[in-house]
Amino acid sequence: MSDDTLFAEVLDGANRANPYPIYERLRRRPVSRQRDGAYVVSTHAAIRSLLFDPRLSSEDLPPSRRPRTGNPFKDWIINPLKNRVATAHRPLIFRDPPDHDTLRGFVMKEFTIARVNNLHGRVEALVDTLIERCRGRDEVCLVEDLSYPLPVAVICELLGVPEADEPQFHAWATQLATALEPDARRDEEARRATVTTFDAIAAYMRRLIRDKRRHPADDMLSGLARRGDRGEPAMGDVDLISTAVLLLVAGHETTVNLITNGMLTLLRHPQELARLKADPERAPRLIEELLRYEPPVHFRTRKALGAIEIGGTTIPPGAPVVLLFASGNRDPERFSDPDRFDPSRDDIQHFGFGGGLHYCVGAPLARIEAEIALVTLCRRLVEPRLMADPPSYRAGASLRGPSNLGIHIAGIV
Amino acid sequence: MRVVVDLNRCQGYAQCCYAAPESFALRGHEILFYDPAPPDEARARIERARLACPVRAIFVEAADLHAADVQESDPSKVDLPKVDRP
Repeated sequence: MSDDTLFAEVLDGANRANPYPIYERLRRRPVSRQRDGAYVVSTHAAIRSLLFDPRLSSEDLPPSRRPRTGNPFKDWIINPLKNRVATAHRPLIFRDPPDHDTLRGFVMKEFTIARVNNLHGRVEALVDTLIERCRGRDEVCLVEDLSYPLPVAVICELLGVPEADEPQFHAWATQLATALEPDARRDEEARRATVTTFDAIAAYMRRLIRDKRRHPADDMLSGLARRGDRGEPAMGDVDLISTAVLLLVAGHETTVNLITNGMLTLLRHPQELARLKADPERAPRLIEELLRYEPPVHFRTRKALGAIEIGGTTIPPGAPVVLLFASGNRDPERFSDPDRFDPSRDDIQHFGFGGGLHYCVGAPLARIEAEIALVTLCRRLVEPRLMADPPSYRAGASLRGPSNLGIHIAGIV
Repeated sequence: MRVVVDLNRCQGYAQCCYAAPESFALRGHEILFYDPAPPDEARARIERARLACPVRAIFVEAADLHAADVQESDPSKVDLPKVDRP
């Protein structure tokens, strides 16, 4: 197999359970050009330097295009306008400075330390309730029993989205998350589906934000929506909607992988599971190692704004650039014995939450959720055993994690 | 317990402020204030802050290290984490 098709192999679902040998082959060069013109960056040093390089843009999505309806008024007037607005007001994950920084600033003002840390007790209660529901069974389906419902309940509470509406936007969130997957981005039909989904969820958010303005509560959406009323600088309504959608989707599609990958890794390393059970104080370091060893997001795509010379390669202007975080995390030039899961290692400078100015906003929350979930699972599940290894995986190559993790248990304490 | 932050490395990610809010605070965008001698009961939170730092800028010297060893050791031989500089 030649090197310029290695990334296609990464995207191939057949390699989802173990993409790491492909990453190892990619790392023979820090940057490898693929046949489709994309440049894959796979070593820790090259990823690190590009994360801080202003010549890489996150505004890499093609312009949004709504499907034809047959109604000329819509097709020639309304939808082209909507397309322009939607393209100009992408969520901050797809924006560059200075707009990105302004939007992120608004989010950070509401993502306060107190608001995040106050969720601690709530997360503990949720985890206990979700585990309690498995009582009497000899099998836990971790994704549907805990890894998915926990972050969803937490993000709904934080944003102030009624959890009762969740079934409505469950499928929307899954569809919108494909904006991070190269295959879905290239596929015309998938992109149309994403646009249609965005319109549906945006309409939902618009109504919700209107309610929040009338009846503000102590949640992030109320805070973001009310800023303008108090005479402070505020986001425009379109940015407010796309930000709300981004936070909701991010809360749905990422932490689920961290928790499931975490339990999978612990079940594959029973001695570490036993150690964590005996000493929950090991959790913070174990979670950082987990973010290195099995990160929830494997790569992000950017676009080169100018020619970038790196690692003996020149990336031409306009080329898509894939920052393969999960490969940098396993780079033997940076980490000794990188393929070993070793929570006692101290030098864990991972890309589990990305890096640079797009560093994951939700990182502190993800850490809290993962720590409480894993510590409680280890304490309460009696004799947990994996039912299938490897488990089945969700479709995503970037947002990568099991679709189901069956765990055999002898009971719950 | 003694805490030192390498402010040349610090990039203002604010992860320490979430992990140990009583010991770290970010003013404005990137000015970090921190308690260089936090009380022992803050230990677990300080350790979380140290581990969560994306650029490994936080160094903790625990009281159970022998103060004499630290003072007498040759700074060039101190085993700091390996950092790759681009």
